[in-house]
Amino acid sequence: MERDSSLLDDYVLSLTDAERPRVCFLPTASGDADHYVVRFYRRFAASCDASHVSLFRRDQGTGGVEDDLASHLLAQDLIYVGGGNVVSMLGAWRAHGLDDVLRKAWRKGIVLCGPSAGSLCWFEEALSAFHGAPRGVRGLGLLPYSNCVHYDAEPARRAEYHRFVGDGMRAGFAAEDGVALHFRRTRLKRVVSSRPDGAAYLVEHAGDGVVETPLDVSYLGVDPPAPAPAPPVTAAASPARRPRRRAARRASAGQASERRAVAPEALPTPLPA
Amino acid sequence: MSTQAEIPLQRRQIFAMGGGGFTMEPTNPLLDDFVLSLTDAKQPRVLFLPTASGDTTTQINAFQSRFADRWCVHEHLSLFRMHDSKRPLDQIVLEQDIIYVGGGSMRNLLAIWRAHGLDELLVQAWRAGTVLAGLSAGAMCWFQGGVTRSSGPPEPLAGLGLLDGSLTVHSDGEPERLPVWLANVRDGALPGGWALDDGVGLLFKGLRMERVVSSRPGAGAQRVDQVAGELVRHRLEPELLGEGETSALVVEDEAIQELRRVQRMRRGLGER
Repeated sequence: MERDSSLLDDYVLSLTDAERPRVCFLPTASGDADHYVVRFYRRFAASCDASHVSLFRRDQGTGGVEDDLASHLLAQDLIYVGGGNVVSMLGAWRAHGLDDVLRKAWRKGIVLCGPSAGSLCWFEEALSAFHGAPRGVRGLGLLPYSNCVHYDAEPARRAEYHRFVGDGMRAGFAAEDGVALHFRRTRLKRVVSSRPDGAAYLVEHAGDGVVETPLDVSYLGVDPPAPAPAPPVTAAASPARRPRRRAARRASAGQASERRAVAPEALPTPLPA
Repeated sequence: MSTQAEIPLQRRQIFAMGGGGFTMEPTNPLLDDFVLSLTDAKQPRVLFLPTASGDTTTQINAFQSRFADRWCVHEHLSLFRMHDSKRPLDQIVLEQDIIYVGGGSMRNLLAIWRAHGLDELLVQAWRAGTVLAGLSAGAMCWFQGGVTRSSGPPEPLAGLGLLDGSLTVHSDGEPERLPVWLANVRDGALPGGWALDDGVGLLFKGLRMERVVSSRPGAGAQRVDQVAGELVRHRLEPELLGEGETSALVVEDEAIQELRRVQRMRRGLGER
């Protein structure tokens, strides 16, 4: 639910086979923030059977009792988990038995997705930086890796994730804002991005240090025209989003293709836990 | 206040409200001023925990507008939204004179506190002399148990157990709660305890209930115990905070209403 792009939402909807997918929003990590719920309905209500579950205002969400809540969630095509605080969200989920429901949903074939806390929660381990020093958090463990989000948003994030993986956090995936990791079963199938320069990495322990491998990212938007002979005026005016400096640097150095270092399907896949 | 040194049990304070305070009584500051009066600090540091509501802006704004012009240092702690400050939780929680817990979902409140380790920090703060105050979910959480509507229909739920007994809140405002609590006390699922109307608060010194106070004339409280399978109920008469005696205020209130009625009739507006 990026404000200026629906590319990731359209992508995740395409993963369901349903013509009019049943999509349920879990805004728990935001404390069921009203504005977030409104944003969800604005984005999904037209093309989907949209609903949301509130664990703070049960009378305003779907389902009045625990049983109904489970059966409601298990009848969805897509469960969309909003961002916020992953520790608070996991705590509230466990108190309502939602952790088990979501595991069941996943086994049943319901597509699970979400940004930020809505990404971290599916992994065995996650790096959370909310109050004070960053800490490792145990997620639901559907995906036997670690996860780090907002990789580009905070300068210290990369160094912290490397430190945690170096100190024994399991190997995992780091994603920049606008980049999504698509897993089928426990295998990374594709990395997609709503931003032309979005990047994601595999971060793992190797020897004495930590190795970060860039992943092949598919930009979901329309590719900008070939940069070669265009006059400077056009180049400056064309992209909807201002490309970030790093990407511009890469492009100017003609290194864009080097980012295709590891095809996701080729990654080693640990056995499911 | 030293964050580590413990004070004797009988000096530790908890103020549990059945409802009321800045989130429920925006024009009546009696309970909140009572909370402020419980600390000896010259300029008390007051921390608001809106966790049970999911940190709603409504609660946070109400907190700020109530305490902004009072002689205290006030801040809130969000467990959902990023703060500007990235101070660790223990630093924030263990430096307060008063910690004020808002209402909402008791189940979520306790689960989220536990996920962050805040439950233990709050116990530490209480032992070190921080006044713990709260309403509704933020009041029941200190007891052995309460009645929550976190999942819809009212049901018993265990609290942190700092105080003996159980508590039920909003006895007048949400009448469906009380019978569930009474049934649970009767069959032993919850220990005996207190039922509070909106506007009523219990002050505990250590484990002893010392005072029953109220912000509203007519609001009540009761102590209920199960004895040999039967419920024994005692009505408690709260002291009305603020000026004057309860009865005097009620009389005055009726007199004012009467006066307004007369004035309306004179202006030809009729009865309302």
